[in-house]
Amino acid sequence: MISSLKIVEAAENSGIDQNIILKFILNEWVVPLNKKELTLDEEDIERIKLIRELGEEFGVNDEAIPIILHLIDQLNHLHLSFKNNYCH
Amino acid sequence: MKNPYKILGVKETASLDEIKKAYRTLAKKHHPDLNPSNKTNEAKFKEISHAYDQIGTNEARTKFDQGEPGEENSKQQWSSFYNTQQNAGRYANSYADQFGDDEFFENLFHGAHQKRRAQNQDINYLMDLTLEEAVLGVEKVITLANGKNLKVKIPPGITSGTKLRFAGHGLTENSGPPGNAYIMINVLPKAGYIVQGHDIETELPISFMEALLGAEIEVPTLYGSVNLQIPPNVSTGSKLRIKGKGIITNTDVGSQIVKIKVVLPKKSDPELLKAIKSWNGKYDYNPRGEK
Repeated sequence: MISSLKIVEAAENSGIDQNIILKFILNEWVVPLNKKELTLDEEDIERIKLIRELGEEFGVNDEAIPIILHLIDQLNHLHLSFKNNYCH
Repeated sequence: MKNPYKILGVKETASLDEIKKAYRTLAKKHHPDLNPSNKTNEAKFKEISHAYDQIGTNEARTKFDQGEPGEENSKQQWSSFYNTQQNAGRYANSYADQFGDDEFFENLFHGAHQKRRAQNQDINYLMDLTLEEAVLGVEKVITLANGKNLKVKIPPGITSGTKLRFAGHGLTENSGPPGNAYIMINVLPKAGYIVQGHDIETELPISFMEALLGAEIEVPTLYGSVNLQIPPNVSTGSKLRIKGKGIITNTDVGSQIVKIKVVLPKKSDPELLKAIKSWNGKYDYNPRGEK
């Protein structure tokens, strides 16, 4: 379980260049838990890998990435809400 | 998707025994039990194990070589992120405030719906950026049609033709939802810098002596100057690569390609001419004869 990594460590962990991670953060596609110190947790790392895969595997361009992330987040939220409210 | 051969550090032609040996060596090195203090080791160990699963047996290797694992890996990556969101994930929960769960599900199950009002018009703006701003990213303020200022954060690596959408910043003339503002990016050319895909090409004039003997020359890049080592015997047109000084994309960072241009002195030095003439007689040097 990853608790908190600096960008350098996150780059090493994910095998993704630091500048690319920084770009994802500046684009606000990834929002670090600690915005001041820019430390990333497991959620952020998995999201970074997902964004990279969207671009590399599926050829998704920069304009479409925030739309896809938005939809994924909404779906995840709705799935979670559905489970909590209706699946007891 | 990472290449399992690269992760294990073996050639694609390696035998199963070689793959197994490489896996064992790396697994030993990165095993979390041996390095409990190193946070990145666990992930590395998982990566090595997964790579071995992909090519460690004849059957798995054939599947990978035929391209089947791509799909498997994609599913794995999607589910990895999904799993992080299933216990109060920050990203998924950022939507809780936008639509209350109860209200959403009530609407969903009871068929409640509202009449949609006509949305106001969108407005398009054009924003010129210098090459530096486009490559490195910048924050700019634009004045909208309604007189309000909008802070626009330009991410690094943006290209001409990119359209940024700012929801709700369009016209608000009628009672419907406000339109959106769209900002079209136009990257202005910079003299001496040619963008080629993810790379940036520049020209570097060097002297005859520097071309012959090699040199260390300070070269400007969009990220600041760097010292470039020029090897001896370079010619006009030779290209040297400075990695990581090009355009940032989601998958890599391009390079600056430095194209050498050998410039001869405007006035010839008699001593040099004499030396060259003497040298010319001694050596058989014909660049047109080289293959």
